[in-house]
Amino acid sequence: MTPRKDLLDIQSLTDEELEFILSNAVPFKNLFKRSVKKVPTLKGRTVLTLFYEPSTRTRSSFEIAASRLSADVTNFSVSTSSVVKGESVLDTVATLEAMRTDYVVVRHSMSGIPNLIAKHTNASVINAGDGFHAHPTQGLLDVFTMREVFGGDVRGARVAFIGDIQHSRVARSTNLLCRRMGMQTAMLAPGSLIPRELPQEIAVFQDWKELYAWKPDVIYLLRVQTERQNVPFFPSIGEYHRLFGLTDERLKWARDNGIWVMHPGPVNRGVELTDSVMEYERSLIDQQVENGIAVRMSVLYWLKPGSSTEDKP
Amino acid sequence: MKRLFKGGEIATEDSPKLTRVDVLVEDGKIVQVAPGIAAGEGTEVVDCTGKVILPALFDVHVHAREPGQEQKENILTCSEAAINGGVVGFVMMPNTAPAIDTAGVVKTVLESARKCRIPLYTSGAITKGREGKELAAIGAMKAAGAVMITDDGYPVSNPVVLRRAMEYAKNFDLILASHCETMELSGKGSMHEGKVSYSLGLEGIPAISEEICLDRDIRIAQYTGAHVHIQHVTTARGMNTIRRFKEEGVKVTCEIAPHHLIFNHEDIRDYDTSYKMNPPLRTPEDNTLLLQGLIDGVFDVIATDHAPHTEFEKKNDFQSAPFGITGLETALPCLYDRFMSKGVFGWDVIVKRYSAEPRRIIKLPPVPVVEGGVAEFIVFDPNGSTTFTKEFMKSKSSNTPFLNQTLKGSVDVVVLKDEVLLNR
Ligand SMILES: [Zn+2]
Repeated sequence: MTPRKDLLDIQSLTDEELEFILSNAVPFKNLFKRSVKKVPTLKGRTVLTLFYEPSTRTRSSFEIAASRLSADVTNFSVSTSSVVKGESVLDTVATLEAMRTDYVVVRHSMSGIPNLIAKHTNASVINAGDGFHAHPTQGLLDVFTMREVFGGDVRGARVAFIGDIQHSRVARSTNLLCRRMGMQTAMLAPGSLIPRELPQEIAVFQDWKELYAWKPDVIYLLRVQTERQNVPFFPSIGEYHRLFGLTDERLKWARDNGIWVMHPGPVNRGVELTDSVMEYERSLIDQQVENGIAVRMSVLYWLKPGSSTEDKP
Repeated sequence: MKRLFKGGEIATEDSPKLTRVDVLVEDGKIVQVAPGIAAGEGTEVVDCTGKVILPALFDVHVHAREPGQEQKENILTCSEAAINGGVVGFVMMPNTAPAIDTAGVVKTVLESARKCRIPLYTSGAITKGREGKELAAIGAMKAAGAVMITDDGYPVSNPVVLRRAMEYAKNFDLILASHCETMELSGKGSMHEGKVSYSLGLEGIPAISEEICLDRDIRIAQYTGAHVHIQHVTTARGMNTIRRFKEEGVKVTCEIAPHHLIFNHEDIRDYDTSYKMNPPLRTPEDNTLLLQGLIDGVFDVIATDHAPHTEFEKKNDFQSAPFGITGLETALPCLYDRFMSKGVFGWDVIVKRYSAEPRRIIKLPPVPVVEGGVAEFIVFDPNGSTTFTKEFMKSKSSNTPFLNQTLKGSVDVVVLKDEVLLNR
């Protein structure tokens, strides 16, 4: 396997690389059950988290992953208000180069910023979510979680994404990876949140009835983002919950049919889902969080800082 | 002073066939066009064997960035970039800082243009400050020398303002050029809305943003009887709308930029900002249909929308980087490389669409290479090649996807009257 410098998206991963990351996450997860949860793999290396968009959850997941690999972890705090454009990001990158960081974990509200950083640094850049573009480690941890519940073989499993698909980098990355792994995917959302020109093999549903008929194995609820434009995408949160949310009634259907429920977090209770989902025995939400650490350890273990970037597709 | 251009083949707008003849120029005039002219004493001979002689190009859509944005370009560097590409004359767009929206600014700009080796023309804004609210001093700008009015970069969003502008411009026989975009639909978009924008996670500019405005503007022209010129058309649907209205007899002309024929949204991989322009690159199907429209003659002119930006600005993330690429220097080689060299269309298309018609649109006579005409032509070497390095380019900016690429063909000689402006 050619060493890889950056993880920017799902598209550029080869099948071999995917398998490497997913299978290595298993021993890393087993490590969690030991009293000493650390291995010396990245001793002497530095991992820097660079979050232009706040996310305690994803950032701490990366930080725990890095420290369990014995890396030194630094958090470079950036004021989200003043520093938004690529030009100032490059100034920060120059600083990072001077600090000789080995890995940079970036989150930014603009698509493509991790790609821009990757071009200007020798450090390994890991995209921890950029704009509406990609969130590759989320996709990997989701598929890792699905492999756990389906006993390793996910081919043929049916996953339905529900919610703000248009603006979701999770939907892009997880959905793409699901299809790469041989799963079937579908989408259910208000028309205004469905992107145009989706690949034909993705089924698009208007309502839950159509979704029931499709017999999904997993329903993946996406976080409803706060309005992004002057013109809202749907009339109200109440109407959204009524028409597209996982209500008590729909949860009963899920329970009767043994359907798994996933959500990338943080959850908006009473919007995407009802409170009672938190006690649902087939909710994978906590498992996703735990697996996130294992998968991110595997990614850090796999990437090689300073390796050539020329063979990127 | 006598110059004999020997052994070349002349391109005209009437026929795709080239004619093999020699051209004798004396005191800035073409005195003889015939086979086998012998060079008299004191006549300088320019060997044109294997090369194409064509009327000098003319561009109706150029951003010279002066006044106010001279870090990107100024009128002088822009004119030298034009010469480097075989373009002898262009129309400047008014989106400068301040905007070219009064007779005073028109005069200042034309004063600056006098330093250049080629004749330059300017447009004036339709509305004050290009804000789309109040009409600019259209009559005074025309009197000061403006040859066109446009708010390029923005549409005139309010249809009443546009209607009044068209009705008013008619009095002065001024062409109104229209940048068609529905700003609300474009929103914060930075590329064509479609499957690529979805996968890159970039907000899109839908085709309907351009098409709706285009349809509206032509209808207002039809209603008012004014002449509207649609700038940088990018969608096949928009083009077909123009075709239909032309058939109905509406006074509408339109332009196509080389980059909209050559590139499409699938070229925007890895967020390369040298493919970011407004209107955006559309789809491969649009490329094919727009090219057919150029050959069929729906497009009256080729215009580059030469839009220089500093490297600093373009070396940004895709959403923050400014729209636009340079075009004056690459236009002819890229059209030759992609189309003429492959027999997609002939030299007549270039002469008609990038030399004669652009001049006619602003009421200048074309400059065919004929006996008794002014010497205003270029010599192009189809067997040569051009590598677009920063050193090669005379523009202050090098924001073009062709940077460091080599294209077939080379503009070797540029002649304007008694001057040889370029001789490679
Ligand atoms: Zn323009």
